[in-house]
Amino acid sequence: MKKIFLLLTIMALVTGLYSYSILEMETGNVIRNVDPHSAAMGSAIGVGGLRLLDSMTNPANLTNLKNGFGFQTTGSFLTDSDNRSLPMYNSFDAYSGDAVYVSNVNIFADFAGGMYYKRAISDFDLAASLQYRPQVSFIADYFEQVRNNRNSDDNEYPFKIAQNTIESTGGINAIAFQTAFKYKNIASIGLEVAQLTGDSEMEKSVIWTLEAQETINDTVLYNYVNTLKREFSAIQFKIGANVNISQRFDLGFSFTPKVELEVTGNTSQYFLEAPKIEPDSTDNINWVDVEDAVFVYTNFDSTGTPLDSLTYDQYILPMNARMGFSYKPRNIMSTIMNCNIEFVKWSDTNPLYDDAINYYIGVEHILKNKIPFRFGFNYTTTYGLFNDTGITFAREITTPTFSAGTGFTILDKFTFDISLEYSNRQYEALDLFGDSYYWDENHAYDDLWENSYWIHDGGGIQDRGWENPDTVNETFINLKSAISFTW
Amino acid sequence: MKKLLMVSLLIMLIISIAKAKIDLNTATLLELKTHLPITDKQANDIYDYRFYISFFQSVYQLREIESIDQKTLNLLKPLVSVSHYDEKDESAQRRDDIYYLIERLGSNEGLQEGMSDIWEDYLISPRNINKLAFSDILNLPNTSPIDVAAILNRVAVGDSISSYRDLRKSPGISYYGAKNLQNYVYYKEQPEVRDLYFDYQMKYNDSPYGDDEKEMYMESMIRFDPPDSDDPKTPGIKRQSYWGYFNMESHRATIMNKLRMRYRNEFKAGFIYETPRNSSPLFDANSDNIIKDGKFYAGYENNFKFLGNNYLKIYAGNYRATFGEGLVMENTDSYSPRKTGYGFNKRITGIIGDISRTQEYALRGIALDWKRNNMNAVVFLSSDKKDAVVYDSNENGELDEDDNILGYINMTHRFSNHDMEEAEEFFNEYPENFNQVEIAPRLDALQEDIIGGHIEYSPFIGTHLGFTGYEARYDREFLVPDEDELKHLLISDDDYAESKWKITDNEITTMYSTFSDEYGDRNFRRVVGFDWRTVLNNTSIQGEYAELQKGGELAKIGDDPRALLISSYTQFDNLYLISIYRDYDIDFDNPYHRSFSESERFDDTVFEKMAYGLNNTLLNDMYNNSAQPSAERGIYFETRYQFHKMWTITKAYLDLWERKSDARRGVRAQVKLEFKPIHQLRFRMRHKHQVKRYDDEMDRGKSQADETELKLVAYLSNFDKLQLGYVYARVLQPPYLSILSDPAEPGAPDMAQGQTLTNGDMIYLDYTHHFNKNLKVIGAFSMWYANGASFWDFEDIELDFDQSDRGYKTWFNIHSRIANNLYLSLKYKYKQFLTRELEYRDYNDIPDEGEYYFQRVEREENIVRLQLDWKF
Repeated sequence: MKKIFLLLTIMALVTGLYSYSILEMETGNVIRNVDPHSAAMGSAIGVGGLRLLDSMTNPANLTNLKNGFGFQTTGSFLTDSDNRSLPMYNSFDAYSGDAVYVSNVNIFADFAGGMYYKRAISDFDLAASLQYRPQVSFIADYFEQVRNNRNSDDNEYPFKIAQNTIESTGGINAIAFQTAFKYKNIASIGLEVAQLTGDSEMEKSVIWTLEAQETINDTVLYNYVNTLKREFSAIQFKIGANVNISQRFDLGFSFTPKVELEVTGNTSQYFLEAPKIEPDSTDNINWVDVEDAVFVYTNFDSTGTPLDSLTYDQYILPMNARMGFSYKPRNIMSTIMNCNIEFVKWSDTNPLYDDAINYYIGVEHILKNKIPFRFGFNYTTTYGLFNDTGITFAREITTPTFSAGTGFTILDKFTFDISLEYSNRQYEALDLFGDSYYWDENHAYDDLWENSYWIHDGGGIQDRGWENPDTVNETFINLKSAISFTW
Repeated sequence: MKKLLMVSLLIMLIISIAKAKIDLNTATLLELKTHLPITDKQANDIYDYRFYISFFQSVYQLREIESIDQKTLNLLKPLVSVSHYDEKDESAQRRDDIYYLIERLGSNEGLQEGMSDIWEDYLISPRNINKLAFSDILNLPNTSPIDVAAILNRVAVGDSISSYRDLRKSPGISYYGAKNLQNYVYYKEQPEVRDLYFDYQMKYNDSPYGDDEKEMYMESMIRFDPPDSDDPKTPGIKRQSYWGYFNMESHRATIMNKLRMRYRNEFKAGFIYETPRNSSPLFDANSDNIIKDGKFYAGYENNFKFLGNNYLKIYAGNYRATFGEGLVMENTDSYSPRKTGYGFNKRITGIIGDISRTQEYALRGIALDWKRNNMNAVVFLSSDKKDAVVYDSNENGELDEDDNILGYINMTHRFSNHDMEEAEEFFNEYPENFNQVEIAPRLDALQEDIIGGHIEYSPFIGTHLGFTGYEARYDREFLVPDEDELKHLLISDDDYAESKWKITDNEITTMYSTFSDEYGDRNFRRVVGFDWRTVLNNTSIQGEYAELQKGGELAKIGDDPRALLISSYTQFDNLYLISIYRDYDIDFDNPYHRSFSESERFDDTVFEKMAYGLNNTLLNDMYNNSAQPSAERGIYFETRYQFHKMWTITKAYLDLWERKSDARRGVRAQVKLEFKPIHQLRFRMRHKHQVKRYDDEMDRGKSQADETELKLVAYLSNFDKLQLGYVYARVLQPPYLSILSDPAEPGAPDMAQGQTLTNGDMIYLDYTHHFNKNLKVIGAFSMWYANGASFWDFEDIELDFDQSDRGYKTWFNIHSRIANNLYLSLKYKYKQFLTRELEYRDYNDIPDEGEYYFQRVEREENIVRLQLDWKF
């Protein structure tokens, strides 16, 4: 009874969280693993996957499961701490560091699950599975207050004049069918066909506060709203193979061709007379179809005139190919070491990107009482798109991640796994909301600023460009848990 | 007869039964399944256990298999046998036995610059103690000249050392000398080890730049000429500094790949390449860079007979050359204060292959080391390009190949010349920037061709006299301008140049020039010297004298800038005493000088203190990465003394010295005391006291630092360890008059001050847990409130420096031995701290517009370090 109660408690815990980055609110955060076994092993399970959802990386991993019927559900809790700082200058006006001016901590959740059946027929092991899992997430939240320059004498504080928000929701999920075959203990191959569907909705807004509106009630303030709504669909294929070189070595390969998703939706940018924040029929909003909305210009002539562009309907998941090995040495505690390298053809998605190689390593030691201790490390590369005076460029952003995890078996047939991943990355970016929006050269906004003459004397409030960019520091902590069951 | 028959039958029966037994360590899976009364699952489990966990040492080990219960064991006991069987060859077994020593060497690798590799090789393939030369034994860790003389004195009279016990009986050898030596040598029979070895190592490290380096890169290269203090002094853009220009915030990890190959102790080869931080993608490096910036060597060492016993070493590629006390030649980039040459502060003298991280002072060419009886001769040739500081000597507005060199520089980050030129162009062309770059580091700016040698004669055991010399020829002129020109070259602002240039900057003005009024124009630098040692009973006295040839004659002593070091080492069973006297002339500017000193060259000069005023902030690296000792004269004493079985002074030293550049005197003393009431429990106390003072009271007066540490170390079961410590630091500093301009204004922040006292403390805890012998996790936490003081913290395998206002850090390191020959360690550190308030102090007026003011800033660091070692 106690065990069942424990199992139920664990199952209740298995609702997950994924939290993601504002950097990829438009391009999407590609999810590399959904399963704590894989996560704890540093996502190095191109070969040597032991859980159903490990087959997300290589469908041939299905043949490593036990014979019979089984299922797995996983949940993920992810916190993303996003700190944006601006440069500081010391008494000699030398650049001396960065000060955080906005900090967002978000918590997100997601889940995945699947079932499988595997049996042996003669020299063959046959397996098939059906899975539901997130593939790309667009979830991101950002909130920033804009306060005026009033001092804090007499128990007064600079009042809030506007709030800047980015809310991005949605994602692309996969319903995947996988099948895999294994011949004796020599080799296995696997195939996945996945229906990718999903949507995303992004809204970026600057909303003036009531206090700001009241302060300058003779001037109309306009709330700014930028929206992007998209729906996605596509079929994705993935093939994989595992080869048993010896009792100690297994090799694995997997290949996913690039996927061009069909995208529908629209985008708009509009201004609403404050305090209105939602458009109504009286507002003439220009909704632009995603086919016609330029996402990014990717090519320019010598005069800086844009030549080629990507529109919001050109959404592509890049081709990737992964290979790796799993090594099972003789060790006083049963040990597995997996290493993978992955080639990602990022140039498929955007000509501004370079192709990249990701590295994964993971180790599992079985300690006393059959408790596994898993740890891993990976080093992955993504890209951020930035703009400099109208020209868009891409910067490589690398993310080192370390992970650890464990698990145990309960009631013989249930296996509980848990993992923790920790990533930190840092990059430069422009201010997400340019400061000049809160200033008007014709003195219309003067009342919003306590000492507006200072600002006038300095030539007004201007946007910070690349001469003084933000430094963004992001930390991700991802807790994953899963229950696997084999009949 | 019947009895005999019965006994014979019984023996045969026993033999046949024994023969019929299944050997758990050799039986096939089929045999396990068919010959034993167990299920297929149990047979599989036994087979898997043997294959993936361990060979059986005893039949009772079967109980470690989950599916084998006591009843099954009882059933199997008479049916199975366990033969001695191990997959490990002798080499692997030996590595297993001395793994703790290899681990200890690895943990000190960062401090020993490649020496741990050499020592590890000798641990795995020990040499015959009865055939080793003096320097061979002395080059092993923690052996003293007296220990070596004790061994050789026995061997010389025809005696041979037959065992460790026998070694211990050598008259005069110390307990620790013998104990440290025992695993590096064999006595009668050579252990059976393999002949061919490969070692591969990969290190991923994303530690951030150090504070000093970061400050250097962040200082502005664009400076306005402010008519009054209210105007901006810089444009206030991030790109005004190298940090912002090169987006160094996103500089990522370094990856080091190292491969070594060895055939016995005879053929050796190695290769190392470190991918620089901003390399993209991670392992990207073109073949040119790999050859130019990578390091490699191939070497051969062996005895041969030719008119007697000869020992020859020949190395091609990169090699280390070290002689005597390092006055003439010790080519490493790393500086180590108070490097006595004894105990754990050893030098490996002679020639060894070099795949350490040393770049600037690496030698590349051929080196030959020949030993014969009591003679030793070394010749080395090197031809390599060196990074150097170039200045616009011909005043054509460009830094080009026609310009002169100021000196060698070891750059923290080796930007390409093209990148540096582009950055300089951006800085120079920035409107209203008065700081036009006239001096800058350049990669491979200098062709250096070295020919050098060392010859040594040993008339009797423990005594030698050696001569060392080298000549470095250059393809460009080294020329240090006269002082007035130099200070205006290094410091852009004329007022600064006059007011900030101090007497300590003599260390810059006295750098070596290949041209002077005294000796005309030449294209070389010559350094010669002699060294000696003699062992008298339990005392060894040694030293080295060197001269840099300037105007004097090569063979004449005393007519050129010189350096002298004399040291003595006395040992008893429970005590040693080191005394070192050194005296280095300020104009003894030998780039390969690495002998004992308290501080590195350019300490307290504008290269250290004036990043904000230097024409090029990158010149800070002249100090940051200086490897040469400072010109100083002083005497140093060090001892270890176990005066009671529970009480030991583990290390105590006293250094009294005078810095030559400004005659500042210093005293530094430290005592470490250990109380060990029981073996498992140690109480350690450390106190450090340092005073630096001028006799001239008109200058800065004195600074004083004291630091006290109390530590509890508890050794728990299974080699687990718990450490708890507390450090208290107290610093008395003089006011920095050089930045105080208006002392007359009362209450002003720039008013002259008296001594300032700062104190800070730190508490730390770390715990080492062994899950078993193959998996160890170390976790640590520390918290400090420094208030301007600073703390060194030895973290597992590296040193960290904590000097922020206050902060905490936590780290863990997982050491996993994946297989007999494969090791992985993963370290993660999180550090959060507030910057010193000093950076943003009150007199930093808040500008009317456009700038930002913060009184204090919280920072954090996330550091990952991954190391993989594969030995095959």
